[in-house]
Amino acid sequence: MFEAQEINAEHKDLIHDVAYDFYGQRMATCSSDQYVKVWDQNAEGKWILTSSWKAHSGSVWKVTWAHPEFGQVLATCSFDRTAAVWEEVVGETPGPSERGIRHWVRKTNLVDSRTSVTDVKFGPKSQGLQLATCSAEGIVRIYEAPDVMNLTQWTLQHEVPCKLPCSCISWNPSLSKNHPQMLAVGSDDANPINGGKVFIYEYSENSRRWIKLETLNSVLDPVHDIAFAPNLGRSFHILAVATKDVRIFNITPDNSDPSGVTKLDVQTVAQFDDHGCTVWRVCWNVIGTVLASSGDDGTVRMFKMNYVNSWKSVAIMKGDGSLAPNDGSKNLSNALTSISQTARYIKLGSIITPKEREASWH
Amino acid sequence: METDINTILIPSKLCNRAGVSLAWKPCNDLGIFAYERKHSGAQDKPSQYYPTSEASVFHVRQDVILFRPILRKLINESNGTFLNLQELLARKSTNTQEEMLNFSRQYRSIIRACLESLQEDIARSKSEADKDELQNYITIFYSIECIWHLCEILFIDSTPGNVVLPHLLEWVRFHFPKYERNAAEMLCENQEELEMKPEYWPTIIGLMMQGRVRIARGLLKQHSAADTRAFLLVDQCLKAMPQFDVYSGLSASEFHLQWQHWVMDIQSKIDAKSFASHKNLELLMKIVVKDELAWSEIKKHFETWYELLPAWLFYAEPSVKSYELGTFAKYCIRQMGLENKLKHLDTVLLAAMEYDLLEVIKEIQKMSENGWFATHLANLLYHSGQLTVLEKDVDNFSAKALQEFLIVDYGTMLMGHKSLWQVGLSYLDHCSESGIHIIELLLPRVPVDNEYKAQKIIREAVKRELHHIAQFVCKVQGMKCVKRGRLGSALTWALKSQDSTLVSLLANRFLKDYAANGKLRNTDLLFNLGPTMLSSDRLIFLGKYYEFHKLYQDRQFQEAGKLLIKLLESKIIPKYFWYILLLETIPLLESEDIIFSSNDTYMIINFMEENQFDERIKDKLDVLRLATARNLSRAVLYESELN
Amino acid sequence: MTSKSTIIEPWLEEELENEDCALDGNYIYFLNADTIASSSSYGSVNVFKICYNENGEIGMKKGTVWKNIHSFENGESNLCTSITSYDQDIVSVGEDGRINLLTLSSESIVRTYDNADSCSIKCALFLKHNEILTSNLRGQLKIWDLQSRCEEPSSTFMLSGDIVAPTCLTSHPTHRHLVVAGDEEGSITIWDLRQNTYPVNMLRAHEESVMEIQFHPDYPDHLFSSSSSGEIWHWSVKPKLSADYVFDNLAGKDKNMVWFASDAFKNKLEVFTLMDKLHKPINTFDVNQARVLCGCDNEAIYLISGINLDKY
Repeated sequence: MFEAQEINAEHKDLIHDVAYDFYGQRMATCSSDQYVKVWDQNAEGKWILTSSWKAHSGSVWKVTWAHPEFGQVLATCSFDRTAAVWEEVVGETPGPSERGIRHWVRKTNLVDSRTSVTDVKFGPKSQGLQLATCSAEGIVRIYEAPDVMNLTQWTLQHEVPCKLPCSCISWNPSLSKNHPQMLAVGSDDANPINGGKVFIYEYSENSRRWIKLETLNSVLDPVHDIAFAPNLGRSFHILAVATKDVRIFNITPDNSDPSGVTKLDVQTVAQFDDHGCTVWRVCWNVIGTVLASSGDDGTVRMFKMNYVNSWKSVAIMKGDGSLAPNDGSKNLSNALTSISQTARYIKLGSIITPKEREASWH
Repeated sequence: METDINTILIPSKLCNRAGVSLAWKPCNDLGIFAYERKHSGAQDKPSQYYPTSEASVFHVRQDVILFRPILRKLINESNGTFLNLQELLARKSTNTQEEMLNFSRQYRSIIRACLESLQEDIARSKSEADKDELQNYITIFYSIECIWHLCEILFIDSTPGNVVLPHLLEWVRFHFPKYERNAAEMLCENQEELEMKPEYWPTIIGLMMQGRVRIARGLLKQHSAADTRAFLLVDQCLKAMPQFDVYSGLSASEFHLQWQHWVMDIQSKIDAKSFASHKNLELLMKIVVKDELAWSEIKKHFETWYELLPAWLFYAEPSVKSYELGTFAKYCIRQMGLENKLKHLDTVLLAAMEYDLLEVIKEIQKMSENGWFATHLANLLYHSGQLTVLEKDVDNFSAKALQEFLIVDYGTMLMGHKSLWQVGLSYLDHCSESGIHIIELLLPRVPVDNEYKAQKIIREAVKRELHHIAQFVCKVQGMKCVKRGRLGSALTWALKSQDSTLVSLLANRFLKDYAANGKLRNTDLLFNLGPTMLSSDRLIFLGKYYEFHKLYQDRQFQEAGKLLIKLLESKIIPKYFWYILLLETIPLLESEDIIFSSNDTYMIINFMEENQFDERIKDKLDVLRLATARNLSRAVLYESELN
Repeated sequence: MTSKSTIIEPWLEEELENEDCALDGNYIYFLNADTIASSSSYGSVNVFKICYNENGEIGMKKGTVWKNIHSFENGESNLCTSITSYDQDIVSVGEDGRINLLTLSSESIVRTYDNADSCSIKCALFLKHNEILTSNLRGQLKIWDLQSRCEEPSSTFMLSGDIVAPTCLTSHPTHRHLVVAGDEEGSITIWDLRQNTYPVNMLRAHEESVMEIQFHPDYPDHLFSSSSSGEIWHWSVKPKLSADYVFDNLAGKDKNMVWFASDAFKNKLEVFTLMDKLHKPINTFDVNQARVLCGCDNEAIYLISGINLDKY
């Protein structure tokens, strides 16, 4: 059985991104309404809106949390050509029983892009506090805060031109010290003549530059999302790509070349056209055992690698208007939940429920 | 392929109309929201749904029945058994069948205890919904017990010569206990005319079906007509029934011959209408000689095909070998007319009888107990060597990988629970390949509610030599304490985290606080800093400065003076603090005893002159000059006298 | 020679959970036979009275509640980490470094030491009616005179040179000046507070953190300790020695008592394991007569009976 808890995010337009903090106890949402909101889960499991602010002067595309080691820090990017870093400040005058007044302060505004900033991601924490952005003009920018205690200072370390409009970016989260930093960038350029739409870059300590290692030439359609899986000590990296279908690549670095340049062996290990249309989002669970994707067909699909190392579809989730409570009862249930502090979960219906059978995504 | 996959419905109109996107919520949940993809070059304008009040995020999670308090005992106890098993395996390379059997029985007794407590609860529960829910769990765990028991018989407790029937009879008696129970009740009551009870004959037949011939005879003797010829004859026949026993020294063919004789003898008696006077007795004897009509008549006694199977084997194939079970199982299924009506439990039992272990494990993963069963059974079977033998038959199959795959899922699920995360960890410890990496990802994500929990997490990290995670938890604790205004605790955590940046930052805060307020706070913490002081220059300075304060307070001015000079000479004075040190010299310069030598005083003068234009000492400059000049003259005089 | 142990039916700590107490880090303390004090996650201390209804079922009745007596500057509530009592007096300490003196008869706080410690206080123990001992995260122990007007401790000493936090404190039932602490690294340290603040003895005991230590209330030659690796140990003075020491105790020569003996101290003790090693921390236990009741992180409570307390 599955169950769901509905949190009305109180945005006036569609939500573009939802990000959970490291522990899954805080949630940040951003929307076309130019607002960013932060929600905290209380001890009873109910989500409380703790901050809401107009963050940009255009649609906010993405929101992401920094590693908690750096404090409570968010980054956002927007159509307004900027990316911003936010830090939560706790007020000095708390009441005896209430939590202190919290608000989010804009620590920096990164204004280098001349077009919409389409994605923003914090780098792996082993490298300090790094931030990568990509933009519609086709430039990846890497910023760094040299003093992690002072987030007002960010320096633009690298500008990496990609030639095609960029839509998404992903850091390789490998914890191994043997792996140099790696980034994958996707482009939603629609013209197949422009070649592959996924680029893989590696940071070279020698030349202190980001070097393009590979273009995935098998991906010619627009790419909307891209995600490296946690590495789990493997010798290869797993990359998921959302394009006209869901693709999973195994990427094996080969450092044996005497020139010191890493070579990549890229293999397509899975290709799912279950969505039957454009895929918007690909997303790994914390330990990288399950991939979830969403697409134009309005479904979320989950894929899992089984014990003979092949990827299988394991579950589908779908929005269903007929099941939504009508407005009257919805107001009622809202009223009820605002009185009780505990989280209310509703059991979810499903279409195929053979007796005693059930999909598990863990 | 999709027909086998659940489609879960999210009750949202907007999700239906616009489309959806998602984010994983650590550790195992999903956040799903209505979403529409915009091209990176598209215009920025409100969506067609603007303005909406429906922009919701749905947190979807699996409803884990194992997290119910009533089932948590099962989790915790089986965890103990699991760990004992792994410990035993780590100690010695070979493990005997007997040990494995012992562990299998331990698991089964845990399931039994769980079923019993569920039954107690169902008796106590007041609402229908609760009762239904508990009944559902009972059904699940009853199936598990039944399958586990059969797997134990077939895969773990294999007897010499592949003899399987005695175990199967035991199995069926255990899971269909009503005949033995009825018989015991009837025999205890010691009533006259037992045959008047409606369950008298069904019980006797049932007992015969389960191979309990002696008890059946006992019941027959309680019949009021027990002394009649027919009854005496039946008793005689049953008493003479040959028993197949692998240890009796009798070969299978010899036994077969004996059996044939015995059956022929009874058949002749039936033909001679020796039992015709009594319908039930005749039925009983016809069953014994496998009379088809009789068997079809008693089919109604059987709830399932697997109740029929041992009964049929007992009379038709008493020397059946374990590898022949599958064929007979299918025969019984046909007899019961169930070919197309097999339920999940039936499929699993049949697969087990056909020795298709992979099918068994595949099927039991579909049960709704969140992987508990598959994980523990596969682990036990793997260590009994039963899974490894499959590797040569199935391409690309690794027994180790299969059982670890199950453990990873089970352990990860438990890691997401607020009080079972330690149990989860102990499972992940037993996945050689990926376990430690998964722990590395999940352990730091365990929510830290208080210091007590933080210490538990740190302990688990250190135990696994994940020192960077221990340090990370300490650092996050330190940051939290800073926000709470608990600088003392923050410094302690920072020291534990060995993060010198954070330590310096905190030492700075203490010093700046002093510079602003003139009072050194948290002195209790600075007392006895010990070797930890060395983790940051700023902390060394703070510690030494505190020492100076203490010496001064204790009126040990000579020592205080020496320390102050050392500090002034050192290269670790924070920019914002040197003037305070300079001001501290004034009372010592002015003290009755000479504390600073002429060299010391020159040093102070130099220091002062270098910084004479600094705003912060401007108005004290005269006092300082006077004091240094006076002390210099005293010191020079005194030193010359000494020489 | 190991004492025979019988494990009676472990059961879930369900009833306590119903009382809305998350198990992690919450503290429950018996004030007397039928009154318990518990700390909640919101920095409150609650008193419950145990009562029996007509069916003989045990129930709990809420008594005095001191709400939010532990909190941080930024308003976040925090855990009361330890409670100790002496007759009607109760002392609570918390991660906020605060000491609260309470009395059962009043809902108001008798006295608060607002900044008693710059670190989190982990344990507290009444030494006399007017004296308590606290220990903090940093491994510092402090003695407080509750009658003194001074807001400072009357003495401060260290558990060891490094940052090792004591996890539990207890004192000898008849010689209250004999204090024993267990720590994060599994050691047990013994002080004689009359003499000085240097430990008399230190034992490397458990492999992992000590979770609780207690003397047997009636037979103080017996000490019990539990650890986070799931061990529960029974320390007892070797029989031959015991006779002498008991005699000496009666004669008032308690300085010869074995717990103070500094030379070859360990040789004078025997250690028994009361139960097969559980695989999760044994957070707490209590000793009464020949029985030990212990609560483990595997969500079960175990009752061990037949503890060997033979006197010679």
